[in-house]
Amino acid sequence: MNGEKILEIKHLSKKFGNNTVLRDIDFSVHTGDVICIIGASGSGKSTLLRCVNLLETPTSGEVLFHGEDITGRQTNVPAYRAKVGMVFQNFNLFSNMTALKNCTVGLQKVLNIKREDARQKALFYLDKVGMSPYINAKPRQLSGGQKQRVAIARALAMKPEILLFDEPTSALDPQMVGEVLSVMRTLAQEGLTMLIVTHEMAFARDVSSHVVYMNDGVICEEGSPEQIFMNPGRQETKDFLSRFRNG
Amino acid sequence: MAAHMPTTFWRWILYILEHYGPSLLNGAGTTLIIALVGTFFGCVIGFLIGMIQTIPLAKSDHILKKIVLKIVWLVLYCYVEVFRGTPMMVQAVFIYYGSSYIGISMTKWFAAFFIVSINTGAYMAETVRGGILSIDVGQTEGAKAIGMNHVQTMVNVILPQALRNIMPQIGNNLIINIKDTCVLSAISVVELFFVSKSVTGTFYKFFETFTITMVMYLIMTMFFSRLLRFAEKKLEGSDSYDLATQDTLTHTSGLIRHPGKKEDTRR
Repeated sequence: MNGEKILEIKHLSKKFGNNTVLRDIDFSVHTGDVICIIGASGSGKSTLLRCVNLLETPTSGEVLFHGEDITGRQTNVPAYRAKVGMVFQNFNLFSNMTALKNCTVGLQKVLNIKREDARQKALFYLDKVGMSPYINAKPRQLSGGQKQRVAIARALAMKPEILLFDEPTSALDPQMVGEVLSVMRTLAQEGLTMLIVTHEMAFARDVSSHVVYMNDGVICEEGSPEQIFMNPGRQETKDFLSRFRNG
Repeated sequence: MAAHMPTTFWRWILYILEHYGPSLLNGAGTTLIIALVGTFFGCVIGFLIGMIQTIPLAKSDHILKKIVLKIVWLVLYCYVEVFRGTPMMVQAVFIYYGSSYIGISMTKWFAAFFIVSINTGAYMAETVRGGILSIDVGQTEGAKAIGMNHVQTMVNVILPQALRNIMPQIGNNLIINIKDTCVLSAISVVELFFVSKSVTGTFYKFFETFTITMVMYLIMTMFFSRLLRFAEKKLEGSDSYDLATQDTLTHTSGLIRHPGKKEDTRR
């Protein structure tokens, strides 16, 4: 655990109709943490992340951001989301805008930053992810890995306190996975607080400060990467990881 | 006088053009103005309704918001149903004469703009709603994730993309409006059809006059269908892009098409 507690999730549950997707989830994120959430498809990892960003409304439980519950009615949800960035599996870049405009639009419209300042900030982050030559390209003209790097720059430009990654490499070709992961590795080293849902086990093992293994809507086991990957305590975790080693 | 009257079809056409050409052109101008203004405000109405209809409503929302929104939706639903479900000609008579009945005096111009606008609006509302629904939900989520509210998401992300998708339908509406303003002759708006009818009233040369009228309508609709195609292309944007880089070696690599305009390529 590094610094101050930013995010705390208490007894979070999510149901879609009668289908319980998340049950009694508890965990917290401190500044500088890089938390990887691993688990089989359908175990509720993505739903959990979407609940944190309120793209899904939790059925019950609390999401505390700096100690304040944001699931309540009085929360200014857009203002909260501006502080919590999100990178999606399918990039979700605005297809009507260039790479640069994708990064500046939030700065200008949401944070009310002046055009030129927004442009400078956006250029800085696009450069950081190695996309500065492509600022004039529209998303449809970019490859998957390039799109995802622009999406990361877009999220970073908002200066989020915590950045959520929802399977950022799952829609990419194997060769493109590397370029996105290396950007994420750099960010982790720079101390950005990240919450990452991923199937990249090697990445989770090397980069994260904390690993959460989810199974069937509950947190089955959590701990340091060494603990989870080298010496898992639960049989389910062992089974899940052994599938990855063999595959 | 009869001796000076034209005798053949083409001579009649020339004669009508010579004597009534300016009135017919005036009528065509009126038709165009009504169609353009009506389509424009119809689109504005359509976009506003489309935006209101897609306001997300969550279970956790305040009860008052729910009630207000439900009532607004019901009113909009009635508006769309009534104006899509009745002929524009009937609406024109109903509104123009009805308004004076309840003590509001409309000028004919205002009545014409009003009727065509709300009529187009009723159709556009559904078109825009469809256009908004056609945009991948990921676009909305991407916008929400950087903190945009509903209006910002709509204005910056969704509507520009929806607009591009529904451009063919907007073009359709404009062309329909150019033609359908002729029903406004029912309330004596002096548009192209009304003028043509008046011209035939003088000489009873229906075929000759309406040949001219047909051609005039056709020219107007064809011009605007071409123009809208062009606008559609423009909205799609360029297929290529310029690499923006400070690396001077790129210029020699042929990757940049305008090495002289380095500053421009960064815009």
